[in-house]
Amino acid sequence: MKFLVKTIAALLMVAVSFASNAQTILIKNAKVHTQTSAGVLVDTDILIENGLIRTIGEGLTADSALEINAKGKVVTPGIFAVMNQVGLVEIGAIAGTNDAGVEEIDGLGASLSVDEVFNPKSTLIPMNRAGGVTRTLIKPYNGTSLFAGLGSVMDMSGDYDSLIVSDVAVFATYGEYAASLNGGSRAAALRDLEQAFSQANEYLDNAGAVKSGEYRELDYSLSDLATLGRVLDQEIPLVVSVNRANDILTVLDFAKSHELALVLEGAAEGWKVADKISKAGVPVILNPMDNIPSSFESLNKRYENAALLNKAGVRVMFSSETHNAQNVRYAAGNAVAYGLPYDKALAAMTNAPAKVFGGASNYGKLMPGFKAELVVWSGDPLEVTTHAEQVIIDGKVTDMMTRSKRLEQRYKDITNDNNTYYRK
Amino acid sequence: MLVNKFSKSFLAAFVGAAFLVGCGEDEPAVHPKDSDSQAFVSQYKAKEYHPVLIKNATILTATGKKIENGSILFSDGEIVEVGTDVDESGDNLEIIDAQGKWVTPGIIDVHSHLGVYPAPGVESSADGNEMTAPVTADVWAEHSVWPQDPQFQLAIAGGVTAMQILPGSANLVGGRGVTLKNVPGRSVMEMKFPNAPYGLKMACGENPKRVYGGKGQAPMTRMGNVAGYRKAWIDAQEYMEAWDNYEAGMGNGKAPKRDLRLESLAGVLRGEILIQNHCYRADEMAVMMDIAKEFDFKVTTFHHAVESYKIADKLAENEVCSAMWSDWWGFKQEAYDMVPSNVALVDKAGACAVVHSDSATVIQHLNKEAAKAMASGNRLGMDISPAHAIKWITINAAKAIGVEEQTGSLEEGKMADIVLWDGNPFSVYTKAEKVFVDGALMYDRKDATKQPVSDLRLGTSEFNQKTQKGSRL
Repeated sequence: MKFLVKTIAALLMVAVSFASNAQTILIKNAKVHTQTSAGVLVDTDILIENGLIRTIGEGLTADSALEINAKGKVVTPGIFAVMNQVGLVEIGAIAGTNDAGVEEIDGLGASLSVDEVFNPKSTLIPMNRAGGVTRTLIKPYNGTSLFAGLGSVMDMSGDYDSLIVSDVAVFATYGEYAASLNGGSRAAALRDLEQAFSQANEYLDNAGAVKSGEYRELDYSLSDLATLGRVLDQEIPLVVSVNRANDILTVLDFAKSHELALVLEGAAEGWKVADKISKAGVPVILNPMDNIPSSFESLNKRYENAALLNKAGVRVMFSSETHNAQNVRYAAGNAVAYGLPYDKALAAMTNAPAKVFGGASNYGKLMPGFKAELVVWSGDPLEVTTHAEQVIIDGKVTDMMTRSKRLEQRYKDITNDNNTYYRK
Repeated sequence: MLVNKFSKSFLAAFVGAAFLVGCGEDEPAVHPKDSDSQAFVSQYKAKEYHPVLIKNATILTATGKKIENGSILFSDGEIVEVGTDVDESGDNLEIIDAQGKWVTPGIIDVHSHLGVYPAPGVESSADGNEMTAPVTADVWAEHSVWPQDPQFQLAIAGGVTAMQILPGSANLVGGRGVTLKNVPGRSVMEMKFPNAPYGLKMACGENPKRVYGGKGQAPMTRMGNVAGYRKAWIDAQEYMEAWDNYEAGMGNGKAPKRDLRLESLAGVLRGEILIQNHCYRADEMAVMMDIAKEFDFKVTTFHHAVESYKIADKLAENEVCSAMWSDWWGFKQEAYDMVPSNVALVDKAGACAVVHSDSATVIQHLNKEAAKAMASGNRLGMDISPAHAIKWITINAAKAIGVEEQTGSLEEGKMADIVLWDGNPFSVYTKAEKVFVDGALMYDRKDATKQPVSDLRLGTSEFNQKTQKGSRL
């Protein structure tokens, strides 16, 4: 019975939410992780109007606002999940539903964009959104090229206009995998990286002549070279997957010599060269759940990687899975268990990626004037027994229903009524 | 209650006996006469350790009880007493004050590939999947286990004291699994859980039909899968009868030629080997239970049972365990219908629910996976407590692999497989602090001398040395 009442209440809430577009929402008595200098506020209200946070404070009131009682609950910015393929893949093993990467490609593949490929109606989007993910950096995976292509930032509204920032970074790989794509040696991989960027430089310097056919023929497509040109111009960063400590140093040197904005991904042995990464001002995307010495280039993987990098002054972000991107919050909890300060763990999946990949001017902090993109949690969001109670994107209460919950509703009482086919 | 024929028969012979020491010669009989052989028997010996009393702990016994300010006394490898009023005197007794800490049985993972897919994951040591024929009941996972896999040590730091190592899932029948104690061993025999029954890995659905159908051979479809299982069981019946006749003195007195493939299958028909069946979809599980009826055996456990919630009542009726993840989905079609309350719904229906890993990462966090599953059930209006949910990774897991009489709960006389957690094990921040296997301290987070290190780590890793002397971040 208790369950039924709750469900009806939730349904009513959703019904109310879709009645009007420009909602006024008042969240009452929450514990608020502002991620500003104001820190963590308790028993605090948040007033949302026209998609933005209007006021944060105590004892707020508003006429005809949708009121959310958040007593005993926690509010954080929505999770910004990075490095996944949400909206690019429905079922991993079914090729027709999977646009996550190009298996074989002629040329560099650097200019492959995911903007048009992203499917806002994927069942993965409500699933991740109901878990507290409000935006994500999606990227293709590496096929047979050193370059996977471009990544973009999407919101998790499920709307056709989900694109927040297009083509925010170029993704590449170095180390064992790169070597396997280049005749089996890192030496060849490095040479190919070098050649790609030097030709991109040539193209930047001689674009007019190249286009009019008055320049020598370059080895790569102009779209790939133009994309790498954007990296050389420091418009967008190059994200390189790399694990072994000396490989990380190689990539740091490479980026320095070409004056690139670099982001490291994976960085299994990053903690060993944390000071050098810090000195280079390079942020790191890592998975704090991964401590398996799964290859000879990652023998020194350890749970403390995030904590040690942070201690050295490196900005840390967490990578996320595709089908369960929301589980990044448990990964963050694990990082805290192994020494990362709580606020850094929270930042690693909200405002740190916003700072690196765009959006930090209006998202990632709870303060007036910022986008109302936030989550009301049943408790500590890094805890495994906590769930997202309400997810707000662009100042709108979102639908918490998922395909999985529909299956649950259909089958939870099989012993009473086996006629499940007709339950919707 | 799920009691398999095997555990009934051998337990009768072992009531009250110490399971712990030198049980090699007491390995269960497996027909035909390889019980006469001393090959591949457990050489596991519990490490000697002084008696221990852990007091002031919150204890989850996995019998449904939560004891506040509880004590647990164990000695000579066995649990002596659990309660609130336990005698603290005794020679050589080590007393651990566990104020603010929790105690549970050792975690058991019923689905692991540690050792057969060791780290580093290089092709030359990937030995978990004999993808050469649809029925390879003749292969034994233990003959692939590399005891120096560093993943064993990561698992014990997650509180895992025992696990079933299975061969992979390419085949209709993939081969025998083996249950190991999570202890160092120079050979797999030194890790082998004494008197644990063998499991026989079977696989439904997508994998066999993809692997063999892709080569243009049978099975290419699910109906091909089922034809393949039935054909194998028909052969096994005939083989078993031939041996039965021989043992009964019928025929020409000449023993039939041993066939390793049929020996494993016949072991299932005799109730000595347990079926461990990779099977995602509800309708396929129902078909598998029918095949078991046709040939008069039992499926002990469905693994990866993503759709168990759709037939939870039937699983309860047939006394079949389901080993499940808390939330994995979508990597293939048969994993599309995941619900996070799967474990809770199976449990609620009265069936045996187990949380398993199939992953060298997840095995380190099974306590948190059980917590997630518990929370998902509670969100559906159930009232599941940690005292109950702990069963999903302890006693129910023990049932699912046939060792529930020896371990899996904190009860007098059982193996002292025990984890001391630094807090509530259903929290993301909690870590296993001390792990005892058969009463011996096999892992201590605060003492580097009690942290096993595999051969692989010597001279390759730079952090084991740096974290010695208990130095923490």
